[in-house]
Amino acid sequence: MSGAKQFRAAVIIGYMLSITWLRRNLLSLVWLFATPFSLLFIITVTTGGRSFALGVIGSLLLVLSTVGTGLAGDATWYRLETKLQDFFVASPVNQFGYLLGIAFAGLFFASPALVVLLPLLIYIGLPLLSLPVVLLSLVGVWLFSSAIGYLVSTFTSNLRNGWQSGLLLSVLVGILPPVFYPAEILPRNILLVTYAIPTTNAALLIRDAMGSTPTLPYWSPLIGWFLIAVSLAIALAVTSQVARWRQP
Amino acid sequence: MSAIEAVSLSKIYHRSRTQALSDLTLTIRRGEIFTLLGRNGAGKTTFLRIAATQLMPTKGEISVLGHDARDEPLEIRSKIAVVPQEGGTIGPLTPWDHIYLSLLARGISRIEAHQRAEKTIHQLELTEYRNQPADSLSGGLRQRVRVAMAVATDADLIFLDEPTLGLDAVSRRRIWGVLNEIQKEGRSILLTTHYIDEAEILSNRVVIIDRGRLVVSGSPAELLRNVKERVRVDIVGSSFSSEELSNYGRVVKLAERFRVLTDDQRGKELADEAVRRGSDVALARVSLEDLFVDLVGRDEE
Repeated sequence: MSGAKQFRAAVIIGYMLSITWLRRNLLSLVWLFATPFSLLFIITVTTGGRSFALGVIGSLLLVLSTVGTGLAGDATWYRLETKLQDFFVASPVNQFGYLLGIAFAGLFFASPALVVLLPLLIYIGLPLLSLPVVLLSLVGVWLFSSAIGYLVSTFTSNLRNGWQSGLLLSVLVGILPPVFYPAEILPRNILLVTYAIPTTNAALLIRDAMGSTPTLPYWSPLIGWFLIAVSLAIALAVTSQVARWRQP
Repeated sequence: MSAIEAVSLSKIYHRSRTQALSDLTLTIRRGEIFTLLGRNGAGKTTFLRIAATQLMPTKGEISVLGHDARDEPLEIRSKIAVVPQEGGTIGPLTPWDHIYLSLLARGISRIEAHQRAEKTIHQLELTEYRNQPADSLSGGLRQRVRVAMAVATDADLIFLDEPTLGLDAVSRRRIWGVLNEIQKEGRSILLTTHYIDEAEILSNRVVIIDRGRLVVSGSPAELLRNVKERVRVDIVGSSFSSEELSNYGRVVKLAERFRVLTDDQRGKELADEAVRRGSDVALARVSLEDLFVDLVGRDEE
């Protein structure tokens, strides 16, 4: 199938695994809202509202990174329990069509949270003209997290490990890096390590887009974009080479 | 051109150090229903997954629809469809969603996908359940949905890994009927099953494999010619000792009954004697099951 048909397949797989599910299973939304909005609430309350903007940025990034890294569990379920992956391996859909499909499913699951958080971000100061910058950085985070989540799933031999890996990755990508708190408070060496994680750069870029450019060693918006692009390229390259679409 | 041609195919799972296939050579012709029979762990699913380009072989050659399965998987994948073993359905999706959306994902146009989904829903008698969430359906209905997802495609070669596992007799016959219709369209089917009657009724040719090796292959009728005995006599109860029965033929103990495999004349004599002694008795032609047990079930006896 051509690239356009693979993209069409991805959208259909995404729709199949999310919209049709959500239409009949609204409770599925609760888990996705729960952690980011709880963190937003805690951060807002404990700082007397001073870190509300950081909380919104962090929640946005956590939602998108969680639906991506969550593929470690979801894609394991599709492979081991429903055998959906086997079904699509033996079909014209290729690995990237499938990966993009299950990533779209995550994105569609996240869309209600995005519908709440993005307008909130605009309300608290994001200029509309900067919205594309924010969206692009969010896409980078979503694709990076999805590639990593899927990659891990193809090596996971049981479902429980899949869910656990997804949760661990979610903490590593969406909570520990400086997305809910200012990067400036991190010790220099740790800060430099967090530059390797796209959520760090996305958070800094969104802050920059909102007019509060971070002053950090070896960091500028240009470097931030470069680091997101490099980490995404590495994640996709490793996934395409290493992930087990056809079992060895 | 053959549908599948495997030459000296071997597969070793390195993690468990299991030799799943060993020098397996077989040919599946276009347009036939070909069945792989074997005990659990015999290598049936491994062979099917290699042919369906889901698994790499360790050694040997295999071509599917004229393409090398090792090096040309993309050419093969556009012409095949698979019902994986013991898969599931996606919770709240309906049978219609499963079939229609999976057809769209394969690149089939909306109009054609709609027509194919309608036809398959009807063929597999899912009309009544078409808009019910799959997680509210029985296991048998869910299995029919999974079969429908493969059957509805335009694939030239369909792989079905134990498609009737756990189905009731009526559902099994419904699926057999659909597979026969597919064959009439000129499409090929590779089937694995534990149901020997299914293999006997459906298949143009059967191969029995054991521990990854080919034991015997041929049409069900050809295979039955390999059985020395012509009839089997099943006797329930204790009116005969096994020594006494062994005078009539080869004796196999099956739970509470004895099965005696023998020739026509002695089979009739034994059946008459069993009736005279008041035992429950059944006289029948030997089946593929007898051959199967004979060939791969010696450890159990």
